[in-house]
Amino acid sequence: MSIITDVIQSTKAIIQGMGVTLSYIPKRKWTVQYPEEPVTVQPRYRGQHLLHVDENGKEKCVACFLCAAACPSECIYIIAKDDPRSPAERTGVDERFAEVYNIDYGRCIFCGYCVEACPKDAITHGYNFELSVYNRADLLKTKTDLLITTQLQSKNYRVAFSDEDVDSEYKEV
Amino acid sequence: MTQDVIKVTINNKDIQVPKGARLIEVCRDSGFDIPSFCYYSDLALQASCRMCLVRIEKMPKLQTSCTITCTDGMVVTTQSEEIEKAQRAMVEFLLANHPLDCPVCDRGGECELQEMAFDWGGLEERFTEKKNYYAERYLSPMVANDPQRCILCKRCTRVCDEWMGEDAIEAGGRGANTVIGTYGGWLDCSQCGNCIEVCPTGTLLDATYRHQARPWELAQTVSTCTYCSDGCQMSLGARGGELMRVVARDRYVNGLNGEFLCIKGRFGHPFVNHEARIRTPMIRYKKGGKLIPATWDDAIRHVASKLDSIANKHGRNSIGIVGSPRLTNEALYLLKKFATDLIGTDNYAVTDSVNLTPFFANLGAPLATHRDIRYAKTIVLIGGEPEELQPLTGKQIRQAVRNGGARLIIFNSVPIRLREQASQFIHIRPGAEEAAVLALAGGATDSLVSRKMGIETAELEKVRGTINETEGDLIIMFDGSLSAAAQSALAQLSYLLRADNRRVLFHPLPLYNNSIGALDMGMTNGAIDVTQMLDAAGRGIRAVCVAGSFLPEQLRGREESLAKLDFLMVQELFETDTTSFADVVLPAASFAEIDGTFTNNDGFVQRVRQSIPPVNQSKADWMITDQLARELGVEFGFGMSASAVFNEIAMQVPGYAGLRYPLLKDESKPVQVKHDIAVQRDISNELETVRTAVEQMDESPEKHNDTPDVGHELFKIRTLTDKVAQFHLLAAGNPRPESLNVSPLYQITLSDDLRAEAVVAGD
Repeated sequence: MSIITDVIQSTKAIIQGMGVTLSYIPKRKWTVQYPEEPVTVQPRYRGQHLLHVDENGKEKCVACFLCAAACPSECIYIIAKDDPRSPAERTGVDERFAEVYNIDYGRCIFCGYCVEACPKDAITHGYNFELSVYNRADLLKTKTDLLITTQLQSKNYRVAFSDEDVDSEYKEV
Repeated sequence: MTQDVIKVTINNKDIQVPKGARLIEVCRDSGFDIPSFCYYSDLALQASCRMCLVRIEKMPKLQTSCTITCTDGMVVTTQSEEIEKAQRAMVEFLLANHPLDCPVCDRGGECELQEMAFDWGGLEERFTEKKNYYAERYLSPMVANDPQRCILCKRCTRVCDEWMGEDAIEAGGRGANTVIGTYGGWLDCSQCGNCIEVCPTGTLLDATYRHQARPWELAQTVSTCTYCSDGCQMSLGARGGELMRVVARDRYVNGLNGEFLCIKGRFGHPFVNHEARIRTPMIRYKKGGKLIPATWDDAIRHVASKLDSIANKHGRNSIGIVGSPRLTNEALYLLKKFATDLIGTDNYAVTDSVNLTPFFANLGAPLATHRDIRYAKTIVLIGGEPEELQPLTGKQIRQAVRNGGARLIIFNSVPIRLREQASQFIHIRPGAEEAAVLALAGGATDSLVSRKMGIETAELEKVRGTINETEGDLIIMFDGSLSAAAQSALAQLSYLLRADNRRVLFHPLPLYNNSIGALDMGMTNGAIDVTQMLDAAGRGIRAVCVAGSFLPEQLRGREESLAKLDFLMVQELFETDTTSFADVVLPAASFAEIDGTFTNNDGFVQRVRQSIPPVNQSKADWMITDQLARELGVEFGFGMSASAVFNEIAMQVPGYAGLRYPLLKDESKPVQVKHDIAVQRDISNELETVRTAVEQMDESPEKHNDTPDVGHELFKIRTLTDKVAQFHLLAAGNPRPESLNVSPLYQITLSDDLRAEAVVAGD
């Protein structure tokens, strides 16, 4: 094959490729400029877990260990404790509460089984997805990191409305 | 004895069963599962749960199989639409008042009602009425109660009555408002916790383990109890290196004690992870100085050099080796080997308060197992108080009398509680137990014996009459109050009292979990005993190595002895009176942290299994001895293997010949040691000695007329029970707290120390 044919074919290929690129320039852009603008997550997105409290601010968790039992990656560690105080003084809704509630995000696979297992609706998936840390040990989140009253929420997401069609932008591809 | 065999047809299958068999057992043995709550093979029949319904031909309605005795030609159907409908309806009724609080219930995960509801329950509840509500409460520091979870199977009340003879717990109220409760609302009993064990739901719960873990999170290890000589099998539940709870082994599997445990076995375990455990080896470099933490290597080197120099200076016999009857057979064997083979001293002893050597030297019949006691026909109890000191033996005696119709003869100076079961209670003068042996052996006239005992002559005739009428097993039990001569004579009684249809068995009542094992390992064969060793301290004895501690009663009056020693090494779990004089203290591992064996008062060799890794820097006692031997230049060659030590025991100790750990694996079939049976010999010398002693006996002492309090021995605060905060409440008379809804630990403060312990226990 001569060198001329080679040059011609290469140029043709480049023009063809650039044609595809250029054709996309006028179309609608779907790249999200994270973290400058928030990511839209779907309502049932499974982010970092939240431990909920009831209307009186009592922890809903009764440390029944069902989440830990359901967990396929065994990332939940609980120490249960008896709370002999009166209902008004208690930490939780019941006299049984979790003194320690740890989730190891180095192991968690975000399957949501813990949420399904919870008989008290005490644990749900939140929307926080920014879980990267500089130290592997920091992936272990304690109760303070998980409680809805104390969890630090990222500002870099917005939750889609239930009737919002978040998927559509991907469908254009 | 041949039994009549009858034919029963169950689900079209012909089955041959012995006459008198219970239908539910026959069905289950033949592989037809029958659900039940209230049926408990060892207890009186109840038939209140009505889950075990079957259809028997020619009977008008469905029958409860737990109350039916098989008859010849019976045709039974256990599975049909009609039966299932009835059973499903029963579960629905049971759940009508049962709250759905499984997530907070400590029984969740091992609850029989949960299992039953899984198999027979409906998906939906049709009852819309409000459920009965009762607040959760505490019945005692050990027992928590949630009345609304109760399904009224009454296992707890039957256990309390039949096993413990206490009737402390009973059902009150009527109809749907029936609840299990106590007299006066506060449980004043021996706190055995067997009601907790047999409860199929979360009605009665272990208050010491309240809301702490869930059963499936616990690693269960079957082991042997470390308190009394009955050697109950139990299951240690550990999580993350911490011993969380103790429950009995499954009742279908456990041959020795079924689901029975006493307060100490069930609740006495928190010492294992207690913060007061000795953490590191410690050396006191200067007499009167402080114990300073050291490394294992340094401490062992220090001990070895001290022992070396003392042996060189004062001779080998100046070193005393002392073991504790709480140690495993492996530790005691190695200690004996260390003393005789390595140090070469004759001065080794066990810190046991009772020495049964003369009894075992003359043993004329095998030891009675607890099963033998349960089915015995006549039981003679000389001294002792099994219901406090050997609770399983006490329970077996009670059941033998109540369920087996056995006759119980008690010789005791104290009107112990067991006398309520006795067919004959002979109230003797304090210290006159020997005379009972004399009376049984016929070594003296009745008039002498009865005069010394302070009883009527007719009583002794009645005893002899009862024994002569006995067909079956005659079991003679005795405690440590007998002298050596009396023990020897007693051990030969089997030859005098046996007959063609009568077997005589013995059941000694030593105090510690491995008293018998210490004897078998030869630790009691030393030249002197512990008190003699303490008296010789500073003169004949210069250095002492103790595994365990001296008993407080052995140190009483000899407080100075330990200070007179040139060198004292102690292997202990906690700081005791002995360690306060020690030059070197080594942290020993508790029973939950080691592998080994204990030998109980049946002669059963039973496994102790490691449940958690050794706490802090502690080591198994036999490993400490092994390491010390290595430092002194002798390699025993056991490495890290307790089973290797046991193999050597099997080779060296005749009764243990052929035993191996794998043979001891099955706790439903415990293995009895083959103690040598002595041939019949003339015991007139011993009887003469006993008779002389009895003749010189003082006739003046008054008899004790007060029945001892429940728990006067069980609740006693000793080194191990001291670490359980609840025991302090019980020892203080089990005061009733102001509110029953909160654990008494949080309400009652006995002392600052107790408070601190209460906080720890609450963790």
